[in-house]
Amino acid sequence: MEQSLPKRILRDITAVVVVAIFMFPLFWWALTSIKPMYAIFNKDEVVVFDFVPTLINYAVVLLGWSRAEIAIESGSTFGVGGTSSYDSRQTIIDSIIVAVGSTGLTIILAVLAAYALSRMRFRGREGFLNWVLGQRFLPPIAIIVPLVGMYKVAGMRDTDNLFLGYIGLIVIHALMNLPIAVLLLKSFFDDVPKDVDEAAMIDGATRWQTFLKVVLPMVRGGVAAAAVLCFIFSWTEFLLSLFLTTIIRTVPVKITTFVTSTGSEWGFISALGTAAILPGFIFILLVQRHLVRGLTLGSLKE
Amino acid sequence: MSDAAVAQGRSPGSFWPKWRWLSSEHPLPWLLPASALMIIFGIYPLLYALWLSLHKRNPVTRANVFDPDYNWLKAFGDQRVWDAIGTTFLYTGIALVIQLVLGLLIALLLDSDRKGYGVLRALMTLPLVVPPAVTGMMFLLMLDGSFGVLSRSLYAVGLLSPQYPILANSSTALAGVLLADIWQWTPFMVLIMLAGLRSLPKEPFEAAAIDGATAVQAFFKLTLPMMSKVIAIAVLIRGIDLFRVFDYVKVMTDSGPGTATETLTSYSGRIYFNGDFPYASTLSLITLILVIIASSLFMKIFRVKL
Repeated sequence: MEQSLPKRILRDITAVVVVAIFMFPLFWWALTSIKPMYAIFNKDEVVVFDFVPTLINYAVVLLGWSRAEIAIESGSTFGVGGTSSYDSRQTIIDSIIVAVGSTGLTIILAVLAAYALSRMRFRGREGFLNWVLGQRFLPPIAIIVPLVGMYKVAGMRDTDNLFLGYIGLIVIHALMNLPIAVLLLKSFFDDVPKDVDEAAMIDGATRWQTFLKVVLPMVRGGVAAAAVLCFIFSWTEFLLSLFLTTIIRTVPVKITTFVTSTGSEWGFISALGTAAILPGFIFILLVQRHLVRGLTLGSLKE
Repeated sequence: MSDAAVAQGRSPGSFWPKWRWLSSEHPLPWLLPASALMIIFGIYPLLYALWLSLHKRNPVTRANVFDPDYNWLKAFGDQRVWDAIGTTFLYTGIALVIQLVLGLLIALLLDSDRKGYGVLRALMTLPLVVPPAVTGMMFLLMLDGSFGVLSRSLYAVGLLSPQYPILANSSTALAGVLLADIWQWTPFMVLIMLAGLRSLPKEPFEAAAIDGATAVQAFFKLTLPMMSKVIAIAVLIRGIDLFRVFDYVKVMTDSGPGTATETLTSYSGRIYFNGDFPYASTLSLITLILVIIASSLFMKIFRVKL
């Protein structure tokens, strides 16, 4: 059905406006991060654009500038003194370690399981798939209390040992992402005809060699898509990171500590928030093609 | 099938029947690592939570005494639990309907091959990767009573009284939290509906156009029925995730004001921080049971399978 010109223009305009509405919070957030203090809290006008953009908020959260340095820089005496708890360098390092570590662990476990589920026929296969699916929908809150107990006993919660702390979060994020990765990868393995395996094994390859040298390289794209989704979900996870560790603060947990009863430092919050959003944006644009499949656990293909 | 039988060591004359199953033709070595993770950090804590829920916590000695119906009866008699269940269902229902309808409409709008629409579709996915805690903060900033851009805009067009604290007023707080959820997850629906729309066959629509059907008729008589499977899957996945909402509530209102935005998960979290672990476990198990009942009912009624 070819639409008439006025109709088409109307549709174009509506589409742009709708998308713009959805982009507005992101725009406002990024804008807030380059505003000086006074412009954020302006109560006289709805929208203020006449401010001098500043990167000071980023300097504080990403470079660890203290308030004294800000005061010297800006020539004012505002907020001099007091150490900066807004320095988020360690937080970003923590988040990267946890996200990369858990993504790696998830992919290794998921690739093995997904291959078996796709290629082998055995009793309990359906049951295993249902178990994986059930794990995806298990509310984290249902297991959080025992997990905290387990983590305390294992010394992974209130520990000074950063390594143990990382392991704890990596493992639990891997558990959270495992179902998505398994089901998504299984759907990619299913796309590869079984003849490929059989041909390789007739040529004398073992099952393991067939998997590693023949089939796995054929689903590279799927592995990449699964890895990106795992990274994003780990990077954005809040509840488990909040409950299960007291020494490691991932970005979403850290950012909520910026809200205080005496007033929130919105400049710093939005600077860290903007920095926290960017990796996800880059990654999601890389996996646009497989996004639907990933979000529906492999049940819908684009 | 015969592979499995062989691998299970039932083949006659097998030299090492007990060890054959470890060969790489058997699924166990492949599934074991993932299973171990899901058992140790999934099944075990779940059983532990069940065990906890059957015990009463002595606040003084901090010992857990076996008392199987104490927590469950307490939960049934706890008005806050019923309120939290009500809020959770209300939240899930409203968010689901709005996200589905908006998602479908926006998907129809963006489903075009013309230039620029690809960019619009890509932009539309961006909210999905924002950490929900950060989304909560964004809307906290925009809904602030004195300088929030949304509050002030609503005031400017005369919809709101000045300095109206949307999130601090019990009649509007839930709507504020919902707004964040809708902003973040409508794109999820858009994405899935777009995939559904793009997989539809062209012929029925051409035939309908020849028969003089209007666009609206084609939508209700063709698009919707053909999309029913896709819609059901999207509703199922989104519904389950909505039911366990935690991040937005925790960040934006912390269940307040009072208990106006208290959901099951946030109430459970609060009890946990108060130290009554058995009761917190009981409440989180109630969440799980409700999720299971609701989702299996849905899957039965709409005959969907993931």
